[in-house]
Amino acid sequence: MRLERRAQASRRLGLTVPIVAVLLGLAVGGLVIRLGGTDPLLAYRTLFAAAFGSMEGWQATLTQAAPLMLTGLAVALPARMGLWNIGGEGQLTMGAVAATWVALYEPLPGWLLPVGMLLAAFAAGAVWALIAAVPRGILGLNEIIVTLFLNYIAVDFMGFLVNGPWGDKSAIGFAYSRAIPNRADLPMLAPSLSIGVLIAFAVALVAGWIVNRTPAGMTMRLVGSGTHVSCYLGLPIRRLTAIGFGGSGAIAGLAGAIQLMGVTQRLEPGISSNYGYCGILVAFLAAESITGVVVGAIIYGALIVGGLALQGAGVPFDISLVVQALTILFLVSGQAALRYRIAMGRGAGAAAIARAGR
Amino acid sequence: MNGFWVQTLHQAVIAGTPLALAGLGELLAETVGVLNLGVEGMMLIGAVTAYATALVTGNLWIALTAGALAGSLFGLLHAFLTVTLRVNQIAIGLTLVFLGAGLSGYAGQSIAGAPVAQSFETVAIPGFGALPVVGPILFRQDWVVYGAGLLGVAVWVFLRFTATGLNLRATGEDPAAADAAGVPVVAIRYLATIAGGALAGVAGGYFSLAVAHAWADQITGGQGWIALSLVIASNWKPLRLICFSLLFGIVDSLYFSLQALGTDFPSSILAMVPYVFTLVVLAIGIAWRKELGVGPAMLGRPYDREERI
Repeated sequence: MRLERRAQASRRLGLTVPIVAVLLGLAVGGLVIRLGGTDPLLAYRTLFAAAFGSMEGWQATLTQAAPLMLTGLAVALPARMGLWNIGGEGQLTMGAVAATWVALYEPLPGWLLPVGMLLAAFAAGAVWALIAAVPRGILGLNEIIVTLFLNYIAVDFMGFLVNGPWGDKSAIGFAYSRAIPNRADLPMLAPSLSIGVLIAFAVALVAGWIVNRTPAGMTMRLVGSGTHVSCYLGLPIRRLTAIGFGGSGAIAGLAGAIQLMGVTQRLEPGISSNYGYCGILVAFLAAESITGVVVGAIIYGALIVGGLALQGAGVPFDISLVVQALTILFLVSGQAALRYRIAMGRGAGAAAIARAGR
Repeated sequence: MNGFWVQTLHQAVIAGTPLALAGLGELLAETVGVLNLGVEGMMLIGAVTAYATALVTGNLWIALTAGALAGSLFGLLHAFLTVTLRVNQIAIGLTLVFLGAGLSGYAGQSIAGAPVAQSFETVAIPGFGALPVVGPILFRQDWVVYGAGLLGVAVWVFLRFTATGLNLRATGEDPAAADAAGVPVVAIRYLATIAGGALAGVAGGYFSLAVAHAWADQITGGQGWIALSLVIASNWKPLRLICFSLLFGIVDSLYFSLQALGTDFPSSILAMVPYVFTLVVLAIGIAWRKELGVGPAMLGRPYDREERI
């Protein structure tokens, strides 16, 4: 018995596999919930109703989806160039730090303040990502490692700021910064939904347009396909790497500003509740497609909202982490099922045919 | 040297031990080309299993064994998904962190805060234990500490001087060539990843039982990520990894010593040290001689026999 590469997965299989995977994830997750003494059907109903069952639910889901969309794009875009940006968490954090700095120490007049904050976050995210791109471009240092470490450095740096110089002295329990001025808040679309989600959609639209409709998008693909081709064409790979990384960092930085100005109103340690890492998973499951990132972010946002609702109903939040992880594991294994099939015997000839058909 | 420093350094060796164990496990996995980002999750699942077992049995060695088993199950899952199904290792690693954090938090609710009465027995090495300063710091420790040090040497000898060790390195550098030479690439990747998971499990267990002396949700607080950074900073060399884990242990124990003294040195800055340190070591190493930060050539790449380039 062995795994054999499929020539091409049928469309029906392409639709069935993810659905089955999600159902399996929910089923095994339900088993874990059952073991914990809660009725899984009731838990899932609570989860679904909380995320999509009401206007408030939709607002909460979209609020969670906005940063996920941006951090997802921040992974999916450079992935097209063959680069792994797993530093979304740090770039988001530094974006929020920069925006807070503008709000607290550079009181720009009127509407310039929110705009200045967004721009600062954009720039800070780009700079933080470039710190990783420069060693890769010049020294060949693995960007995965550098971006990962920069996450921790950024989060610790923010911890230092909110515990020290920027801290709100009246904070009891956990530390947070002084609040940003009210005029820096993003306008609201609905009682608890800021225009942050529109910003995220807009960024996704622009990204989709660049990737699919411009020569720049084609160049990205070319660089991602392997440097030999792009070397022969004389493409400036170092510069393109820097632009790709900087751009993706900027997008993640923007997510930090949106969180700050649309949700928390102050810098606090939980400002990125793992959005950077979840964004990686969203991008991965979306197979780097822009539409996929948008849809995936909304689904992932719903899972978070549902998990919080379950917590309210007495089921620990850890359960929703388990369900999330199991669902992803099944989805990911499902992707393997699309690429391979189980074959009996050696079947070298079939493999050769599959290779030729590819 | 006064008592404060001797005590802090003694504690540093203990704090460095889980880092060394998890780091050595990760080093094995990465040597054969498997980037296991799930160390943090494996440490957590090992920690909760070991702690619960210690509460039930009262035997810390059984507890560590249970932790190793739990960690190796996660290692097996990682290997199945990345080696057999050839799914992206970054995505799997991160997912396993979430799974480990969620499962351990959920399973450990009832034991959070419960104290374990036993502790690892301190064994003085005859002769060395009586030395001033060095004695209490290095040679009056428990067996797990000595075991971690010896394991570092063993891994070094194994990878550097044995034929099997060479096969492991070949699997990480060029799996296709290794396969052609008759090296069982898949089996080696499985075993190394499982061993890595088991060591992460032991590391988590030792952390909860001997360093933190408690189980709480997310107790390891980033230890797994630090272990990961150690592997890279030490340039995939086991002995250097042991030295660096001691260094990071010092940072850890200083953190607590300074807090106990009541100084207001910002803890966030101290927490940053390991990561900044690793980046600086990497940068210096590369600028000095172009050897660091490269790692096994096929690190993170699945191997597919049918896809020869």
